[in-house]
Amino acid sequence: MLSHFLLMVVYALLVSLFFTTLWRRERRAQIVLFLQLFLGMVGGGLIVAWLMYPFPPGPPAPIP
Amino acid sequence: MADTASPEAPPAPPPSQDAQAARPLPAAQAVMAVALAWLVPGLGHVYLKRALRGLIFFMLVMISIGIGCGLQGNLYRPMSGQWLSYLATLGEIGMGVPYFVLRYGLHYEGQQEAAGFEYGTAFLLTAGLMNLLLVLDAWDIASGQKE
Repeated sequence: MLSHFLLMVVYALLVSLFFTTLWRRERRAQIVLFLQLFLGMVGGGLIVAWLMYPFPPGPPAPIP
Repeated sequence: MADTASPEAPPAPPPSQDAQAARPLPAAQAVMAVALAWLVPGLGHVYLKRALRGLIFFMLVMISIGIGCGLQGNLYRPMSGQWLSYLATLGEIGMGVPYFVLRYGLHYEGQQEAAGFEYGTAFLLTAGLMNLLLVLDAWDIASGQKE
């Protein structure tokens, strides 16, 4: 079953791991950056979702 | 004023491994590292003796591609009149050989009607863009600008 939240978490996990490995060498700095990126993306996504909650969903987009 | 040239001053330490690793490689090896980095995700880092990081990058990019294909995301191709499709195609070609294997070997295109089409497209685009960053990283390492 397709879960929007799960996909967002998996995406944030992949991107966070990628940039952590790319930008940091020391273990402690890697953990700090990973948490910043991962929590920033997931938390940011939840905040944006919460802000959009009052808006009606609207009709589905047409398939071109 | 301190006497820095006194005979008791300790000798200068030998260059560390990091400093040695930061030496630029010959141009041919740098180009080879960049080419390998584009062709196969992570292979440029393996060539530059960063095998563990190369393996991690390979797994991350391939997992992203796998999820993107599993969700039937769009594998872009240039479409006349749609300029963004050129940019998106360039981004996805950044994943290197996997793009061409998917396009011409497996004849994968994605499925617009699939529920995960948009998500899958994001994963595929991200995989290509991540590998482009790996190409730049390999160049930085090979040219001595980064450890």
